[in-house]
Amino acid sequence: MFQLIEIQHDALVEVFNVGVGRAAAALSSMVNEEIILSVPDVYFLSIQDATTALNGGREAPKVCGVSQRFAGAFNTNVTLMFPEDKSLELVRLMVGESIPLEQLTEMEHEALSEIGNILLNSCMGTMADILNSEMHGSLPEYQVGTPEEILGISGNNISDLVLILRINFILEKLKLQGYVAFVMDAAAMEDICRHINDYLASFAHND
Amino acid sequence: MLKITQELLIGMLSTINIGIVLLDSECRVVLINDWVINHLETPEKITNGVCFYTVFPKMSQGRIHEAIKMAIHHNLSSTLSPSLNKSPLPLFSSPLDRKKGIRMQQAIQIIPIQLEDAPRYCLLQITDVTLSIHREKLLRNQALLLREQSYFDALTGVANRRRFNEYAEDEFRRARRTVSPFSLLMIDVDHFKLYNDYYGHLEGDHCLKQVAMTLARTIKRPADLLTRYGGEEFAVILPDTNREGSYTVADGMLNEIRNLKIEHIKSLTSPYVTVSIGAATTVPKKNELVTDLIKIADRALYYAKGTGRNKIVFATEEGTIFS
Repeated sequence: MFQLIEIQHDALVEVFNVGVGRAAAALSSMVNEEIILSVPDVYFLSIQDATTALNGGREAPKVCGVSQRFAGAFNTNVTLMFPEDKSLELVRLMVGESIPLEQLTEMEHEALSEIGNILLNSCMGTMADILNSEMHGSLPEYQVGTPEEILGISGNNISDLVLILRINFILEKLKLQGYVAFVMDAAAMEDICRHINDYLASFAHND
Repeated sequence: MLKITQELLIGMLSTINIGIVLLDSECRVVLINDWVINHLETPEKITNGVCFYTVFPKMSQGRIHEAIKMAIHHNLSSTLSPSLNKSPLPLFSSPLDRKKGIRMQQAIQIIPIQLEDAPRYCLLQITDVTLSIHREKLLRNQALLLREQSYFDALTGVANRRRFNEYAEDEFRRARRTVSPFSLLMIDVDHFKLYNDYYGHLEGDHCLKQVAMTLARTIKRPADLLTRYGGEEFAVILPDTNREGSYTVADGMLNEIRNLKIEHIKSLTSPYVTVSIGAATTVPKKNELVTDLIKIADRALYYAKGTGRNKIVFATEEGTIFS
């Protein structure tokens, strides 16, 4: 399995923490409540191992996913995933209205899509800035299913790799953990590594 | 040969039922369709080339502004949901809404358009979701109503006051019809306020749960019903039960709660949690109401609390009281 060397791993964690930090600021100002986001780690897995990891020991848990397609510096299908019950809590806390229904309503889907959109755009925008490149981002798509169903969507190949980001969300009344899965093929993997290496090299020159 | 002309494209954009605003990389309006113009506060033609923020001055900061920057500078698409962005643009669904000052509920998508070798454009797509929001509001109110109408107490899981009212009424009427005895127990946790003050509300909740579970266990017949009457008060409806029978049930409950031995060091009655029970029985007569019997059982409970607690007291219609 592909592995990042430590310095690459640390660079990615740094980039994503800047990204989610921007997202947290945007989300906080929208809901007038402090929202803290952090990315403790990132790792590469095969699609199969990623599915197992996202299941978290449970039998095919339902997760809510917000996906966007990014193309440019590297091509990837990115999905933010939360456990379904936690998504309900998160959206209802952010929207400020409690609806005693077991599933998200249409408007709540839209709200969760926007939350995911802000987060993914911030991450990718920051990445593009830091890596000095650009990526086109599509509109978010919302779906509910098992991690396997969501990662197994069309276009993803069994040989693809998944870059997994663990994201901690801390709100006043709620703590939850979400995952962002970047599905990419081998070419995209090479692209991202090349960009990280360029980024790291730029420091070396500055010294 | 079929050909799409510029006239045809513009004709199409002016008739579609969504709002379209196209901006260039300097945020100047390249195109704004009739849908948007017709829903403006003052539906007047907007000249091409005017800055978006001149048309919508309030948009020069906030989420729409950020999303436009995202599209133009980063090539990223954004979605603005109606729940997290309350009617950002000053648009109105109908002339009446405009008059009343009620803005359209909007779902907005902001998407970059990159043509080869040209600065990037930005497309705003606006959908009127006022009806969907209205539908969800109805749905939410219905769901809230249903929850309110549900028969179970959220904390203890036993039947709630609402269920008590309905069941007592029904069973009381049935007892009158069939000329059978009907009994009621009112149960109060002794010195519960002191318990809450000393152990805290979480422990207090826990205590109530345990008491409710224990009381529920002592009920054997399917027609008997334990309910949470309010606060630390429970009520038991015992159809087809005479005074003797209701005493058996009450005595069982009193003992089971004692045997639970939930520590209550602030109780003035016992080192453990105890209950007081007021009981009343009747064979309902014409014009007699279940509320009359509730009052009698309440009086018995009041008497039990005034005379040492941790006991059962019976009261009758005539006013006699005995334990």
